Amino acid sequence: MAEHSFPPRSSVKRWLVTTNHKDIGILYIVSSLFFFIFGGILALLIRTQLWTSGEFILSGSAFGQAVTAHGLVMVFFFLSPFAFGFANYIVPLQIGADDLAFPRLNALSYWLYFFAGMVFIVSFLQGGTIEAGWTLYAPLNLPAFMPSPGATTAILALLMFVGSVTASTINFIVTIHTHKADGLSLWHLPMFTWSILLTVWMMLIAFAALAAALLILGADHIFGAQYFTATEGGGLLWAHLFWFFGHPEVYIVFFPALGVMLETYQTFTGRRLIGRKWVILAMILVTLQSFLVWMHHMFLTTINLEIKTLMMAMTIGISLPFDLIVFAMIYTLLKGRIRYTTPFLFNFGALLLFILGGITGVFLGAIVLDYEFRGTYWVVAHFHYVMFAGGTALIGGLYYWWPKITGKMYNEFLGKLHFGIYFIGFNLLYFSMFLSWEMPRRVFTYHTGLETYNQMATIGGIILGASFLIMFYNLYTSYLSGPDAPDNPWEYSRTAEWATSSPPPLENFEGVPTYRNGFLEFEDRNAVADGGHVEHGHEPGRHPDHASWWPVTISFAGFLMLIGLAGLGEHFAYELLFIGGAAFVLLSAIGWGLEDFYAPEPLRGAKWPFDGVHKNKFGMWVFLASDIVIFGAFIGAYVFIRWGYGWEAWQNVPAESLPGLVNTFVLLTSSFTVILALVYAQRGNRRGVIAGLLATIGFAFTFMLIKSWEWNFLLPEAETLPEAVTMLVTLDFDVLFHTEGPAIDASIMHSTYYVTTGLHAIHVLIGVVALGYLAWRAWAHNAYIDGNERPVENVGLYWHFVDIAWVFLFPLFYII
Amino acid sequence: MASIKLYFAVYVALLILAVTKVIFIEFFEYWTAVGAILVSAFTKSALIAYYFQHLREEPRAISWLVLISLAAVLLLAAAATYSIT
Ligand code: HEM
Ligand SMILES: [Cu+2]
Repeated sequence: MAEHSFPPRSSVKRWLVTTNHKDIGILYIVSSLFFFIFGGILALLIRTQLWTSGEFILSGSAFGQAVTAHGLVMVFFFLSPFAFGFANYIVPLQIGADDLAFPRLNALSYWLYFFAGMVFIVSFLQGGTIEAGWTLYAPLNLPAFMPSPGATTAILALLMFVGSVTASTINFIVTIHTHKADGLSLWHLPMFTWSILLTVWMMLIAFAALAAALLILGADHIFGAQYFTATEGGGLLWAHLFWFFGHPEVYIVFFPALGVMLETYQTFTGRRLIGRKWVILAMILVTLQSFLVWMHHMFLTTINLEIKTLMMAMTIGISLPFDLIVFAMIYTLLKGRIRYTTPFLFNFGALLLFILGGITGVFLGAIVLDYEFRGTYWVVAHFHYVMFAGGTALIGGLYYWWPKITGKMYNEFLGKLHFGIYFIGFNLLYFSMFLSWEMPRRVFTYHTGLETYNQMATIGGIILGASFLIMFYNLYTSYLSGPDAPDNPWEYSRTAEWATSSPPPLENFEGVPTYRNGFLEFEDRNAVADGGHVEHGHEPGRHPDHASWWPVTISFAGFLMLIGLAGLGEHFAYELLFIGGAAFVLLSAIGWGLEDFYAPEPLRGAKWPFDGVHKNKFGMWVFLASDIVIFGAFIGAYVFIRWGYGWEAWQNVPAESLPGLVNTFVLLTSSFTVILALVYAQRGNRRGVIAGLLATIGFAFTFMLIKSWEWNFLLPEAETLPEAVTMLVTLDFDVLFHTEGPAIDASIMHSTYYVTTGLHAIHVLIGVVALGYLAWRAWAHNAYIDGNERPVENVGLYWHFVDIAWVFLFPLFYII
Repeated sequence: MASIKLYFAVYVALLILAVTKVIFIEFFEYWTAVGAILVSAFTKSALIAYYFQHLREEPRAISWLVLISLAAVLLLAAAATYSIT
């Protein structure tokens, strides 16, 4: 879509098609605030129920659903997306980029998030949503305890959300590493951008582990796999997978807030952050350490004492860099001259809350004390003090960047009033929970002696909620009729977003930002384009695209598909929805592929240590890194379960290894043919490219045929190969997965075999689609032989990875 | 970019390594075979990554990216399994 047809902000169409990072940032902020209200209403329901110690407005099950949905909505659909609304809007400005590296992918992230939220809302309408707490502990998370399709729908909503996060992660990692202005090295990045950079690196690993956990849980729900019911440690397996994600997740939600705090402390004290380098190093350390403490959430399980002790030590270790960060902040505040604006007040309040939350966390990190505190309101109070401290800082961020985003000033008095009431409500609400620490969490009734504390908390909750009426009123009137904001309303702000107009123009800066001389300067756009080295893919004179219908279309298709998937076997309509939705996803993905969307890479900039890697290839590698974690977690789950079962007592499902070996040869050969296609592309040999790609597709089908023959061979219900293929094609899941014979639920051995090789088979099928697309383009459009062979190379990278995965699956499931 | 000859040599090496796995389990004691098979699998992956995915031509940071995620997930698998022994 050309620039002239890009609709204005007053048009609804603009918001459906936009790929501009500032628009997407606004969409994220608005949607996340919607989910904040939704989660807040659930919270008020919970607090109302707890007004008295006995039965009141909610049944036990309704209470369980409210608690679960409140947690999931706040953590996944409010906090992170709220932070990423700012990240979207501010990070490109801070690094001097025109947009993110992949604007269309960014729009896809947003719409996947939005529709994931819609899938989650649908789950309420299907006989009740999931009811296992936000940690989804096994075996409570299984159909045996929640037979309605709503629970499955909620799991798929989370999976779709993870898809959104993965796309964002790739986008931000590539953008921050390769789209920085000339001369802006990593060390000189503003603190907010630093915090987002470290956040996305944590997300890369952590959310891939969650993806694996949810995929397996989905297989348990939809296909009847037996992972988390397994007596060989199924419940522990969930805890490991979840908390390997979950502990880093608490920093993932906190780091962006930390970035806002560091930013605002500098702006409103007029001081540069004291010990800036050390703070950055401490944050990097926390990023690494966040993956080393997850079992402090498992102190009351049967894992061995040695590892518990180790995790306790590591937990103490992770509080050390945090101490450094906190002291650097306090010192900066002491040294500077503070101006008590609304953003500052919220961020200062956040620090106080965070300190209290951190100290109470240290109690929990001690095994002996945790024996008392585990599963009580002490934990609830602890994590609200830390996580919602993050939320507090982000609300400060909303006030801080509001003038930049809207071009309007808000009312300071109302802002301060909001803070005052908010802060009182907050502490009344959550401090009461410390006082009622003997109360078990997630239970809808409690011991009668604790009514006073609970009523204090409920009143606090109402005050807290009411304070937001002031905020929404303030922002609403400011937006409609507030005074115009100058480019830089805050004296002493030093980051680049304040060096452009409020709000900034479509391409952010009039000139091209550069830091070549050590400070921010602007160069003439045309001079840079002419003088710079013109890289391949740059089309001089062409304007970047800013609009596409495909992100919203694909996400909507995914919404339909997942609702269908959740209800498979419930009703025929669900099956239709699933098949129709899947076809719709496929078609819109092809539409995406065919669209000529132009988003150039900056001609020059600070890219160390990723110099010279084209952004698409870099993006593919980041994606593969997350896929390594997904496959690795599947394999890890297999090893864990098999270990629990007794390694050598385990029996491999395939009766013989020959089909697997043949398939190994087939895949290795396909890896060779796909590299041939690339070599021929480089040599400009059209027929070679097409032959290489077609051969690869042929081998992929051979692999799938042998695979389905094998599945058929293992399943007595299908006597012949055609029969097995028919079952697959007609999605006869009942026959395929729920039989008396050795089906997926026959034993844990069968479950692990089918689920892991099934994940691999899905990868093969996706590869076939991508390869088919390449072959068609090479044939119909003579593509890839004009010096732009990158798509062949990047799909090849993916295909080789599929091969590598099989290199491990074959010995693990057939030989040893 | 390497020649087809080199790629073919790598391909043949991969085929041979694939066969070794089946042989190891026949002729070695069980845990020795497991170890040998794992070595063979990691060698194969390294060959594919280094030559076919031409990590050897990319900045070293790309290899680090891969190694970091591999290390993370190995840690998960190893520590989780250790926790129940
Ligand atoms: C000094 C730093 C911290 C320490 C030592 C610490 C320690 C702990 C421990 C040991 C638990 C498990 C308690 C239990 O379930 O029995 C826990 C729970 C939790 N912590 Fe922290 N924590 C710290 C900081 C944070 C931060 C910064 C956040 C988030 C921003 C956070 C979020 C959480 C959450 C969400 C839970 C509860 C998970 C659940 O629902 O069970 N913690 N913390
Ligand atoms: Cu933790």
